[in-house]
Amino acid sequence: MTQNTRTQKLAAGAVPAPGEADGVAGVDSALEQLWHVLTSMKLALVLMLAFAALTLVGTLVIQAPAGVMEDPQAKSQWLAGIRPRYGGWTDILDRLQVFTIFTSFWLRAIGALLAASLVACTVHRIPGTWRTVARPRIDVGPAFFEHAPQHEAMTFHRPSDDVLETTRRVFRRHGYRTLSLDDGTIHLYFDRNRWAPWSGLVAHAAIVVILAGAMVGSLWGFRDGNFMLAEGSTSAIPKVAGATITLNSFKDTYSPTNGQPLDYVSNVTVAQNGAPIATQDVRVNEPLRYQGVSFYQSFFGPAAVVTVKDAKGAIVYAGGVPLAWEATGGNKVGTFALPTQGLTAWVVATTGTDDPAIKPGQVAIELYRADTGDPVVQKSIDQGVATTIEGLTYTFEREAKFTGLSVANDPGTPIVWLGCILLVVGFAVRMYVPHRRIWGRLAARPDGGSSLAIAAVGRRDSGFDAEFTTLVTDIRQAVTAAARS
Amino acid sequence: MGKMAEYAFVAGTLSTFLALVGYVFYALSGVRAARLAAAGVPVTTGRVGFVVGPRTTSIGHYATLLGWLGFALLGASLVFRAIATGHGPFSNMYEFSIAFAFGILGAYYWFEQRYHQRVLGLLALPVALALLAYAATVPAEIEPLVPALQNNLLLTVHVATAIVAYGSFTVAFAAALLYLAQPETGRWGLPKPEVLDEIGYRAIVVGFPFLTLVIILGALWADVAWGRYWGWDPKETASLVTWFIYGAYLHARVMRGWRGRKAAILLIIGFAATLLTYFGNLFFGGLHSYSGLG
Repeated sequence: MTQNTRTQKLAAGAVPAPGEADGVAGVDSALEQLWHVLTSMKLALVLMLAFAALTLVGTLVIQAPAGVMEDPQAKSQWLAGIRPRYGGWTDILDRLQVFTIFTSFWLRAIGALLAASLVACTVHRIPGTWRTVARPRIDVGPAFFEHAPQHEAMTFHRPSDDVLETTRRVFRRHGYRTLSLDDGTIHLYFDRNRWAPWSGLVAHAAIVVILAGAMVGSLWGFRDGNFMLAEGSTSAIPKVAGATITLNSFKDTYSPTNGQPLDYVSNVTVAQNGAPIATQDVRVNEPLRYQGVSFYQSFFGPAAVVTVKDAKGAIVYAGGVPLAWEATGGNKVGTFALPTQGLTAWVVATTGTDDPAIKPGQVAIELYRADTGDPVVQKSIDQGVATTIEGLTYTFEREAKFTGLSVANDPGTPIVWLGCILLVVGFAVRMYVPHRRIWGRLAARPDGGSSLAIAAVGRRDSGFDAEFTTLVTDIRQAVTAAARS
Repeated sequence: MGKMAEYAFVAGTLSTFLALVGYVFYALSGVRAARLAAAGVPVTTGRVGFVVGPRTTSIGHYATLLGWLGFALLGASLVFRAIATGHGPFSNMYEFSIAFAFGILGAYYWFEQRYHQRVLGLLALPVALALLAYAATVPAEIEPLVPALQNNLLLTVHVATAIVAYGSFTVAFAAALLYLAQPETGRWGLPKPEVLDEIGYRAIVVGFPFLTLVIILGALWADVAWGRYWGWDPKETASLVTWFIYGAYLHARVMRGWRGRKAAILLIIGFAATLLTYFGNLFFGGLHSYSGLG
């Protein structure tokens, strides 16, 4: 039997149709198949759960700080630090990019597939939604009026024209529009909130918008999380020509009872081509924004104000050096460049009294060759005393503070917010403004009266039952009232 | 005001506990009714659950009243606390745990009003009580806000939204547990599987948009305070995990073969993710580490 059928098929298909032979149809069907897979809800579901599982790994397994994995030395140091915790798994997990899961191949691949599935599903649903909204099926057949979750049959002594008119009016009062089709029997379709089905598509498209915004940000935005400025120092604002930012003062206050931080404030002045534009306090939660660039309060620490002069007394360097790093032993370390000398200077300040080389009130100046990194000389200098090292005079003027700002410019942010608004609006409408559809069937009766059946497939939970009952009651009352008048 | 908040907290906890005791007796009477029915004694069932005699309904009724009282007292406690601190009562684990419990009670009674399934209370109230017990163990002192939290509007809105979402998810969790606790055909004395499925779904329909709003408001706040709307901070990430699981649930429910049990399992996983998001800052660090327990 099976053999037989197969032979018949073979016979019928022995001569391939012209279109199938040239391979075009093959590509078409492969694309179709891909489309079919991408638009499948099952794939979307699996991808969503996979994405959730991967990001969950990111919260449970320690993640390497940004930049560490690109620097082989920092990487091996960091891996050594976590080795006690993950043991033999450390290298395997590293190979699998588990420590950088949010930039890993896995997350990107699943994210890309998810985005593709999202776009495909959204596009795929447009024609159906359009049909539901613009060309609904009006004639649904008589069986529907007996089996739908909500249904009611009514008979009236009035002619069908009257009943139709009255029914239309009742539905209009409840916010429904009426479509009808007359083929001897009058088929009716009533709906309310007919634009609501679009909201689901809006919500899904909104996620694409958010992803697009994130993409714009990562392509054209910039971010410097380590923008340091000592009190009294001025620095150029990145990406804005001729603009500078000066830290006038920095203040940190703490709770007297438990030492918890209460406030960090950087008082800064922004200037354009030397002319001050604005002076503002920058706090956590109170960023400074100028020409699309934002400054956020991020961290802070001590600074050493240092002046360097050459033999003729001309200033080579003057300013606050942020002591932002910590050396082994707890010393605070900062750096500045002396480009004319080809030197890099490090400033080391002591936090305790343990260091025999640096006493409290002193800083150590360490000079290195800028090109090779070879050490040149190291010397501790007293505050306020000009000390000559290698032909230059170094003065440690005073202690100060520095502020660590995070500077960012993200042109994608407005797009992300637009997506967020669309998402919330889309969800709200999708879930709280239901598309109500009711079908009707109106027929004349031999006795001059008419019979009207209405039915709907509303969800039991959403208060639709009550609305349906009210509609039925209103139709009956209105027809009776019309009969009396 | 701080003292008043504490009294209201204790009274609210007590009231919720008594409500739970009431629900236990109510459920036990359901079991008794089931046994009587099996023995051939005529037992009437009503909209309000199982009605064996006047006693059963009245116990359920009092349990509901006590629960409402607990809800009101916890609400009062939060209001007093807000007056005492001058900001929304959501800045540390103590305040937030009370608020979470308050949210659970609110969500539960919203659904009890509509679906009259008191057996759900048997599962939802213990979660609220566990949070209240937890709140009693963490420091309750009023401390000034750390700089990152000094944004009264966003603090209040961001966390208040989270309360609504988490409360709804707890109700969905309770419904899913009851769903999985019985065969597909249902078991006498427990709410019908279809009704539980419905409650779970409605709870997510309420909670999911709120969770979306929580994440968006959090992103907005992160942009204001830290200069980026998203940074894969552990708490951000955990909330995204939760969002994806409930998103998957909403899609699963319209698919053949994923309805019912599988959907209920997703609700349980989703609630686990919710708890991880909630308690996460205690163990995975990150920028949300201002629990007041440091």
